[in-house]
Amino acid sequence: METNLNINFAGIELKNPVLTASGTFGYGYELADLIPLSELGGIVTKTITLEPRGGNSQPRIAEVESGILNTIGLQNIGVKAFIEEPLERLNKIGVPIIVSIAGAKTSEYIELAEILSRQDGVSAIELNLSCPNLKKKIICHDLCLVSEIVSGVKNVSKVPVIAKLSPLVTDIVEIALTAQNSGADGVTLANTYPAMAIDVEMFKPKLSTFKGGVSGSCIKPISVRCVYDAYQSIRVPIIGCGGIVTGEDAVEFILAGATVVSVGSSSLISPKNLMKIVYGIKNILERKNINSLKDIIGIVSKNL
Amino acid sequence: MCKRFDENYEIIYNKKIGSHYFELKVKIGNTYKYCLPGQFFMISIPGVFLRRPFGIYDVNNEEKSVSFLYKVVGKGTRILSNIKSGILQLLGPLGKGYDLGSLASPTVDNNNTHGDFGNNIIVAGGTGIASVYSLASRLKKKGTLYYGARSESDLLHLDNFRKLGWKTVLSTEDGSKGYKGYITDILPEQLKTSDTLFACGPIPMLKKVLQIAKERGVCGFVSLEEKMACGLGNCQGCVVKINGQNKMNCKDGPVFKIEDVEL
Repeated sequence: METNLNINFAGIELKNPVLTASGTFGYGYELADLIPLSELGGIVTKTITLEPRGGNSQPRIAEVESGILNTIGLQNIGVKAFIEEPLERLNKIGVPIIVSIAGAKTSEYIELAEILSRQDGVSAIELNLSCPNLKKKIICHDLCLVSEIVSGVKNVSKVPVIAKLSPLVTDIVEIALTAQNSGADGVTLANTYPAMAIDVEMFKPKLSTFKGGVSGSCIKPISVRCVYDAYQSIRVPIIGCGGIVTGEDAVEFILAGATVVSVGSSSLISPKNLMKIVYGIKNILERKNINSLKDIIGIVSKNL
Repeated sequence: MCKRFDENYEIIYNKKIGSHYFELKVKIGNTYKYCLPGQFFMISIPGVFLRRPFGIYDVNNEEKSVSFLYKVVGKGTRILSNIKSGILQLLGPLGKGYDLGSLASPTVDNNNTHGDFGNNIIVAGGTGIASVYSLASRLKKKGTLYYGARSESDLLHLDNFRKLGWKTVLSTEDGSKGYKGYITDILPEQLKTSDTLFACGPIPMLKKVLQIAKERGVCGFVSLEEKMACGLGNCQGCVVKINGQNKMNCKDGPVFKIEDVEL
């Protein structure tokens, strides 16, 4: 029997468990000449806000050991322009489209979800509750606010709602449970880690906003731990995210409890890495004679 | 004719050409056909997480090769400078190069007989020289290169420009060659409104070039440099202010019209 990478995530059928991570894939279709986009499991878009945002000033990125520090600041074209063009083009790719959204207050999240979940071809909404690059606090640091946003969005959304959480919380289980109990159909674990790097020649921070979010290989073990911990306590499925570069990395997240994974920094280095991860997962499953991805989700806990 | 590739290519050489400067040449196969002056490649360097952007120095059609000039400035370029042979993974050509239109010559043409009334003026500062040689070789009308660097040992590959039939005006900060000072100190003397200006170099130099060009009403292009993670417009890390809007240096640039750039 051939190894099957099909997987159902919160009611969405995916042909494989590899999604693009929010904010690392533009609006999704720009890479059509470099990789077969239709072979992706799904696409999570750049975070969309109600109004266009210019984003933060330069410098916005800095390399750190085995990773990347960024402070993009949610630069995006706003929901109106997003619906007019990118969404239509994204839909032609033929894979599920998950739209990431962020707002400055609860009502903005709700309004965005109302608009977007009514559009054709939006398979789910991912709530960015954890962007470290806005001047205001990270929403995930306020459980009441998380609950208010998730339940508010769930009330209006016609599609599944996924909460993307910050790893920088005292207890990842508590926040994941809060999202679930407020109605989230799934959680993404985890966003970038608030971090900082300083230029010792200039005596200045490397980013314009001093602090940013770090992603890439260097954060992988910390994110795997978040997925493992949350998996013990929540029922809703997990999108594992953080430093996935190879098929092995992706399988590690799945063994810890992720149903699917999303890939960001690695696709910035080479969009081809997305395809390599898909083939890598398949190779591992074949080598281990595993027919279905479902059989290994969270298996490390069951093997105890 | 925009096409880009993410492939492994063989190094022809990666040799030292100055105190901290190297020239890397790779066999690029048919990718050479799509390389335009001002475009760049992202090069994977083992041992650093992100690829690094390198402007195209020269494209050799017979050899089907592309070369890059670079200065060792940090960990990535230091590691790269030690790789003498083998395979490198390159993504490109990327970005928008110089929109030469009627100024371009399909082949190198040393007869300066074309009817353009203005002169082509290239202004390069420091490693900015790396992205303007292929430009000079594609302009059908020969012009003048204004090239400033820290000292004589930082002036690279001048012979290549002279072989193309270009005049060179030089400056060094320490006065070891040419005019002592900045190249932008002597640029205004010769500049005419009808000239077309092309500039690549550090931000302070470009600021001055923009100021001079705008005062004189001279048209042309500048090539900007920013740190990049992806080179494709996806990470949105390399924004530059163009006509009051945030544009991606990697995708919308790195070459922009002088009148549109705010520095």
